[in-house]
Amino acid sequence: MVGLIDCDNFFCSCERVFRPDLAHKPVVVLSNNDGCVVARSREVKAMGIPDCLPYYQLMERYPNSGIVAFSSNYTLYADMSSRVMAVLRENVPDVTQYSIDEAFLDLNGMDHVDLKAWGEELCRKVERSTGMPVSLGIAPSRTLAKVASKFAKKYPGYRKCCVMATEEQRVKALQLTAAVDVWGIGRRIARRLEYYGVRTAYDFAQKNRGWVRGKFHVTGERTWQELNGDSVIDVDGLDTVAKQTIVTSRSFPGMLTELSDLRSHIANYAARCSLKLRRQNSVCHIVTAFIQSNHFREDLPQYSNSAYRSFLTPTNTTTEIVGAANAALDSIFRQGISYKRAGVMVSGITSGDAVQHDLFTYDPERSEKLRTVSAALDRVNGKMGADMVVLGIQQYRDKGADGKSVKFVNAIRRALKSPDYTTRLGAFTVG
Amino acid sequence: MPLRIFKPEFSTELRLVYADGGVRAGFPSPAQDYVSATIDLNKDLIEHPASTFYARVVGDSMEEEGITEGDILVVDKSVEPHHGDLAVCCLDGEFTLKRLRFTSADRLYLMPSNRRYRPIEVTTENEFRVWGVVLYTIKSNRRRRPGTERW
Repeated sequence: MVGLIDCDNFFCSCERVFRPDLAHKPVVVLSNNDGCVVARSREVKAMGIPDCLPYYQLMERYPNSGIVAFSSNYTLYADMSSRVMAVLRENVPDVTQYSIDEAFLDLNGMDHVDLKAWGEELCRKVERSTGMPVSLGIAPSRTLAKVASKFAKKYPGYRKCCVMATEEQRVKALQLTAAVDVWGIGRRIARRLEYYGVRTAYDFAQKNRGWVRGKFHVTGERTWQELNGDSVIDVDGLDTVAKQTIVTSRSFPGMLTELSDLRSHIANYAARCSLKLRRQNSVCHIVTAFIQSNHFREDLPQYSNSAYRSFLTPTNTTTEIVGAANAALDSIFRQGISYKRAGVMVSGITSGDAVQHDLFTYDPERSEKLRTVSAALDRVNGKMGADMVVLGIQQYRDKGADGKSVKFVNAIRRALKSPDYTTRLGAFTVG
Repeated sequence: MPLRIFKPEFSTELRLVYADGGVRAGFPSPAQDYVSATIDLNKDLIEHPASTFYARVVGDSMEEEGITEGDILVVDKSVEPHHGDLAVCCLDGEFTLKRLRFTSADRLYLMPSNRRYRPIEVTTENEFRVWGVVLYTIKSNRRRRPGTERW
């Protein structure tokens, strides 16, 4: 069985951990520059406020609604994310982070366990340890686990954990799920499906396999197999793009013990992430690196950890992202561990068209150079083949330690940003 | 009782060298001969990094047990709160730092350490939860220089 754990309204919940006064109040988080709504609490969704609504329209249309708005606080969100993942790793042998607020759990070999009770307890543990409410879906495939997690989130009766174990449960859940809400079926495919009379996930799963392959190729067929309970999608090795997050992670064929080896792997994953950012013309605020030992080798010491670095001015250049990823790696690397998997995640992704430069650290000349280098890399690699030209690994010293300018800059750039409760001493006060 | 000196090493891991040589008259040599182990407070005091948060004290409600404004609290959200624990509590949407007192009659009181404040009884009328248990209080024994953040 596979589990998918998903934080409930992640950005809003991060803010609420440190603001108990907002427990039942409508909360939104705004995109960079306070442009539009990117996260809504349950109360806000219930008011019918759509995602991506521009902030000024929110203020105009809902003037006395008591909605509390926050600017994006990527440092807080990345820290809370790594805490949630750390608690998961303490409790589950194989955790694959899929986005800033989701992770897949490999539950094979847990057949003797009452998964429902175990899952409820896991969700309680995460919430008690971090303050983050999470929902868990457990099913025979990843796609079904995603469906199950939506049920766990929507209906309080599941007590945060929905296990889809029987055929009857699977059929019922798929009948209640619109095709467009299935992992891997986008809006475009959903429109085509509708043309063929396929509306629910169940309609799709009932179609003939050959028909699905003919119309929607191998990816569609995989989704079809997954919906029919056959686990064929492996997120390990898949570059995933989800919820303003890009993850590149791989298992190594053997195991690695040397920092220098891990460095070059991390550098490559980071370079891939930065390429993806440039392809979609976006930039990121946060780079996270993670490393894992081989949990199948119980005879070896086990260790897994993640760390992140944030940019004052968001970026997509290979040089900066590789540098940040390796700086994060350096802080978590431990000698004497045989590493089996590593990965890089970029998050806090915003449009590259309107980048807000940090007033104090932004160096236009250097920035232009780095952009030129990245553009040249893309041109050469586009022509000559991927990874034809790559960077030597850059040494990077994190410059974010200057508390004062960070604070001031944040104040002018993101007017409604909450304090960095978890990462700045004195930001979290108790009377 | 022999004194022990903990000499800081300002590496990123915040590791402190544990010098076993006892205290000498004068000041200890920077090249201690008897360095036998290191102390990393992160490792030795923080059992659950994922659920440990640092908070700063505001106000004077715990003053009589020496917890005063500006002290740093090491708060662990994952540990089970017990009678007598110092805890960061959420009471009706507000944070409050108090000691927990469970009575035999199944009642819960939040106890201040300041005669000017009264104990608060938590009833079913209240929205209450223990946010985290304070495992350590870090206190500076110097006063801040007026008008600055520095010691």
